[in-house]
Amino acid sequence: MSDIQSQLRARAAELLSSGEVVQVIGWMDGRFENQTTPAFIDRPEDAELLVFNEYCVNTTPKYTLYEKEHGKLAVCVRGCDSRGINRMIKDNQILRDQLYLIGLPCSGVKDRKTGELLIKCQNCNHRNPVVYDELLGDAVEEPQVNRYDVVERFEAMERDKRAQYFESTFNRCIRCYACREVCPVCTCRSCFVDQVNVGWQGKQNNLAENKFYNLTRVFHIGDRCVECGECERACPMNLPLMAFNRKMVKDLDDLFAAGEAGLDAEGTHSLGTYDVNDVEEFM
Amino acid sequence: MSVVEASEGTQKATVDANFEPTILAIACHWCTYTGADLAGMNRMNYPPNVRVLRVPCSGRVNPQYILTALNKGCDGVLVCGCHPGDCHYVSGNYYAKRRLMAFKRLLEYTGLEEGRLLIRWISGSEAGKFRDTVTEICQTVKALGPLSTSEQDALTAFSRSAAGLADINANVGAAAGFASAPEPNQADGAGE
Ligand code: SF4
Ligand code: SF4
Repeated sequence: MSDIQSQLRARAAELLSSGEVVQVIGWMDGRFENQTTPAFIDRPEDAELLVFNEYCVNTTPKYTLYEKEHGKLAVCVRGCDSRGINRMIKDNQILRDQLYLIGLPCSGVKDRKTGELLIKCQNCNHRNPVVYDELLGDAVEEPQVNRYDVVERFEAMERDKRAQYFESTFNRCIRCYACREVCPVCTCRSCFVDQVNVGWQGKQNNLAENKFYNLTRVFHIGDRCVECGECERACPMNLPLMAFNRKMVKDLDDLFAAGEAGLDAEGTHSLGTYDVNDVEEFM
Repeated sequence: MSVVEASEGTQKATVDANFEPTILAIACHWCTYTGADLAGMNRMNYPPNVRVLRVPCSGRVNPQYILTALNKGCDGVLVCGCHPGDCHYVSGNYYAKRRLMAFKRLLEYTGLEEGRLLIRWISGSEAGKFRDTVTEICQTVKALGPLSTSEQDALTAFSRSAAGLADINANVGAAAGFASAPEPNQADGAGE
């Protein structure tokens, strides 16, 4: 990895000094041991700050939304990041030629306190970027995990047990909206939770409002979710958000052969279209 | 007053036989609302528990309407629209079909009993089908009991109590492969 890191620093400096991009989005060391923080490098001499190691837990695509106004961006992308970028292009949030993508094969990132592979990486089948302008290092082998494992275990459970568990998770939510902020798919300029005058979402922190928020979020992103797992990682209250996201992804795949989101920047998403031959269960 | 045991529910909820559910029926203007009108003109009898909300099209039904209804006191929700192919706006009900199929599964996955959310295509001439559908959901929900008490309050009280939370995490979370929920003060700040 350190080899990739030195290549990354060299390429970032070149891209910045040649003026091809105005900013490189990656990671740099944070204040704590084994902790990194997103980095926004805009001077070639600062390229030395960039790091790439197994503690780069943040995903990068969402930042392009706020930085694109400065000019062309170079973005470090791993598998999850690249799918987020594809999804943002598809959602007309950014144009492909506003981006220079530095592909980085990834072997999973770890929790800085426990040293364990993050849950999102344990369930990942896309370690190599699916879109990039240049790839640093060699592609890594793709694991073949059953990413629906958690959904299947919940589905096999009795309804009332499951209901209890999910109610207890919704109760825990503090509605910090971190899950929305990090998501490459949550790009509405005016989110329903912020439209206080319309009153979709109450300010109370109770089960009904938490459930309303979480279920709306899951449903709204469900057909476009790229399964990067960033929402679950960012959640300070450890809500098992992927157990909801993946339920939607799984159902849509079963019902409408929706497939995986973000593998390319073409086409549409399964709830944004229809087929007259769809299965009928409401007759 | 006779009391029947609900077949489901960990709280061993007992359903009052005199319980009258509140059902929200969201009906599209062009078909189902007309069908309901016809049912009325034909003097058909159906349970008075249903409140009809007219929308221009089943494609207009935002899933948040359903969530709001369930949060604010309805015990069941019925969503109706034109048959596929008959939509006044050509394709609204096809979009609605996809959306509601996914949303119904999501709600039932997170704990809603099957039967509390019912979706049916009812045309303007199907007054009988409207009557039968309303009767069907009223009977189902009546047997299930009130949503607000048997579902929300009891579970909330249980899952908010420390003992309840510990129990849930130990028995259910562990079975699904999740570590215990953090105590709020132990939560690892994501923004560090
Ligand atoms: S990040 Fe977690 S606690 Fe915050 S709003 Fe999302 S689900 Fe709730
Ligand atoms: S919902 Fe979560 S997993 Fe899906 S794209 Fe958004 S952040 Fe990633």
